Amino acid sequence: MIAGVPPSAATMFEALDQLFVSLKHWLVGQLPPAWQSWVSLAISAAAILGVFMTLFALTVLIERKGLGRIQNRYGPNRVGPWGLLQPIADLIKMLTKEDLVPSGADRVVHFVAPVVMVVPVLMAYAVIPIGRNMAAVDFNAGLLFFFAVGACIELAVFMAGWSSRNKYSLLGGMRAIAQMISYELPLILSTLPVVMLAGSLSLVDITDAQAGHSGGWLARWHVFTPWGLAGLLLFTVAATAESNRAPFDLPEGESEIIAGHLVEYSGIKYALFFIGEYLGMFAVSALGITLFLGGWRAPVIWLEWVPSYMWFFLKLGGFVALFIWLRGTLPRLRADHLMNLAWKFLLPLVLLNAVSAALWHYTAPWTFVGAGLARWLLCGSLVGVPYVLLGRRLFAGQHIGPRTYRMAA
Amino acid sequence: MVARDLLNRLKEMLGPALLRVDTPADDRIFIHVERDAIRAVCRHVFRDLGARYVISIGADDRPFSGQYLVAHDFAFDAAHLLGSVVTHVPEGDPRLDSITPDVPAANWAERELRDLVGIEPVGHVEPKRLILPDGWPEGAHPLRKDVAWNFVPEGYDPERAFKFGEPPPGCTVVPFGPFHPTLDEPAHFRLYVEGEVVRGCEYRGFMVHRGIEKLAESVLSYNDIPMAAERICGICGCVHNVAYAQAVEEAAVLRAPPRAEYIRTIMLEIERLHSHLLWVGLACHILGFDTLFMQSFRIREPVMWIAEKISGNRKTYALCLIGGVRWDLTLELIAELRRVLDTLEAEWRAVIKAVLGDKNVQQRARGVGVADRSLVQELSLIGPVARAAGVPLDCRRDHPYAAYDRVEFEVVTHEGGDVWARIVVRMKEVLQSIEIIRQCLDKMEPGPIQLAITDELPVGRYGLSSVEAPRGESHHFVITGENHRPRRWRVRAPTYQNLQAVPAMIKDQQLADMTITLGSIDPCFSCTDRFEIVDLATSTTRVWSAEELARLARAGRR
Repeated sequence: MIAGVPPSAATMFEALDQLFVSLKHWLVGQLPPAWQSWVSLAISAAAILGVFMTLFALTVLIERKGLGRIQNRYGPNRVGPWGLLQPIADLIKMLTKEDLVPSGADRVVHFVAPVVMVVPVLMAYAVIPIGRNMAAVDFNAGLLFFFAVGACIELAVFMAGWSSRNKYSLLGGMRAIAQMISYELPLILSTLPVVMLAGSLSLVDITDAQAGHSGGWLARWHVFTPWGLAGLLLFTVAATAESNRAPFDLPEGESEIIAGHLVEYSGIKYALFFIGEYLGMFAVSALGITLFLGGWRAPVIWLEWVPSYMWFFLKLGGFVALFIWLRGTLPRLRADHLMNLAWKFLLPLVLLNAVSAALWHYTAPWTFVGAGLARWLLCGSLVGVPYVLLGRRLFAGQHIGPRTYRMAA
Repeated sequence: MVARDLLNRLKEMLGPALLRVDTPADDRIFIHVERDAIRAVCRHVFRDLGARYVISIGADDRPFSGQYLVAHDFAFDAAHLLGSVVTHVPEGDPRLDSITPDVPAANWAERELRDLVGIEPVGHVEPKRLILPDGWPEGAHPLRKDVAWNFVPEGYDPERAFKFGEPPPGCTVVPFGPFHPTLDEPAHFRLYVEGEVVRGCEYRGFMVHRGIEKLAESVLSYNDIPMAAERICGICGCVHNVAYAQAVEEAAVLRAPPRAEYIRTIMLEIERLHSHLLWVGLACHILGFDTLFMQSFRIREPVMWIAEKISGNRKTYALCLIGGVRWDLTLELIAELRRVLDTLEAEWRAVIKAVLGDKNVQQRARGVGVADRSLVQELSLIGPVARAAGVPLDCRRDHPYAAYDRVEFEVVTHEGGDVWARIVVRMKEVLQSIEIIRQCLDKMEPGPIQLAITDELPVGRYGLSSVEAPRGESHHFVITGENHRPRRWRVRAPTYQNLQAVPAMIKDQQLADMTITLGSIDPCFSCTDRFEIVDLATSTTRVWSAEELARLARAGRR
């Protein structure tokens, strides 16, 4: 199965790769048949919860350290060696803080909002293949399910903004709704080419569609096609906005509307929102990995011995690093610029990208010399040229009309 | 020359209403007029002669002349002339024609006149309270001479609220402040918002009035006041320190020794350096760009250290006394200052290159918070706000003081009048400041740093002084007095004028632009309010009621 290694080693790598899967099967096998399916699901859920919560704690620490380095300072370095125990200190702080609810708030909605934030995000992980044979549920409409539960985040943010009975909260909630609905569209449409070419909505099938190697060594990931590359970039921009990360962190916009929908939250409820945002970021990165970066597959044939879940988390780490880097580098956008970017820039490009994918599909039978290059140029320019033209228009100086102001009289 | 020309015109226009004109120096003029002519004179000076309005001063002159005194200060920047239109108001009828209908820039100053001295500006367009707290009883005016500095009025009504105007139809009221994460000090903007667009705004500030002016004219002495003056502002205190000393020196016809003037110039420019670096950082923080915020604070830190080495403090340099300065620069300090400047210049050029080429920052800042030439003129805006609108206004060049007449520098201007232009102007001014300090270090010669003053200062003289603070012109007006202290000392911090333009700048803009628009004038509410915030740190969780706090404050005062 694995190229370039002797059969005995291959068996060992195979065992390592399937370690967690076999462990679960063995555990489940010990139980009476009536329980098996339920316990199997429970184990998967517990594993997802444990792994991604740990990842969350680590990411917060790495983010604070990384931002510190970008900004020429140390970051947390007081709790434990190199500040490694900072997440635990943060957890204790969050758990012991006073839980404040404004007297005018809608108490029920205010209470439910953080739960609505976290639960659907966790559900989204069910359909993502973390490694070979490691999807909790192989759902044949997995992608649809992912976006459906992902849309609950918008609801949670608006619930928080509305129920707090605070104008800044409401403004934050409104901004969040406008932003997330606008970016939902390019986000979903940027995944359209993948579905078109893989012919399935199941994330497991989509990963399998990226199996095999071109030229005998390079993986057939979607990102190695013109539409896949453009799709990944568009997807990443939309995903950053969808997960409210800098430079799209307008709903919180600390310096403008204080903390938006989070103004009236404290203690563990605030922590739940915080967790929800990071889990959302991981989930959407995981989706990007599955759709464009071959999921858990190795990039080149002679690295296939590395266990599949390691590849998945390596790629996820790459995404997280990218998000941190972006946050350290870019200033926040303004609400109307954000909308322009979604509707006037991303949306036309994702639609053109779908056309480009179709073209790629129908030019596949070309066999003349230099056909590969011709296909790349054709499909690439279909997205690349509009990118340049639209970008130029977006950055062109807007016309400022004459301003009038009447002094108090 | 210009003063004489002005004089002839006014003589012709006013006839007997012109009582007296003093020109103590080529660049100063004091025009004493009849009370009824004040509006016409000010209109003529502001509208026809194109002067810039500076400030109005109200003083209780009753113990000396039996009347109140009001002075409206104007600046003829191109002609290098500072002038004051002075009139007296009888004790029995403390009313004066308002100049605000003709000079919109005088809006706040005349409201302050009414609050603190009790002179009613008749015909004012917005006769609302400005400085006194909402619950303060009518008829008690703290700056009158028969009111003690620790006076507590009877009949304070904590229930009375400020009457705001009606919001425009279809607008929601969004309170901006008194406490907001990007406001370092309390101020309240009541924004009228339609969707995310601001349609109007009303200001209620002065929540932190300290009464420094009252303190100065009742308990401090000439050489105490510079130390109180530099506590007016948390960032550019040295400006007030120097401006006050210069105003008194001018009134008493003294001149500090040349070395003292160079040291004043150097410290003022060091202050401008750290103030501008701070501002660029804060502006980036407001734009959601924390990386540059951290970087500019890092670059700024050595400037603070060298200031500490020179004066013993990162801030509040305690620099000036009347007739000189308290600190000399040693050779070691000069060498180190040069090194700091070299590093700063190299690092700052890199930052300028990065920021001026950044499209994202430009997108956020272009076309935002526009104060164009006409608004600058109408509201007499100053400092980087004026220069960013292409109005080359700089007191260092227009009304030279200290050693600025002996150094060469460029007045940085930019077109557009928006936040972006203000960013460009401030970033480039840093380089000019570095050049000025270097020239001063080259030209400075050994010598005394303090005049020996043996006589008492003359009484009843007027002194004006304008100093270019990092935020714009800081203007001080002094009337010398008895008991080694001034009869009246009026401070006009730059934010006092610039803040009045914020409602005009924010109109029809996105709510998200409110903070950067306000931030772009580099507001300093402490300067404007002339007050100090006291942190009452307690380890208990007891909540203080307003009355308890007031009682505590009064107990401390007695």
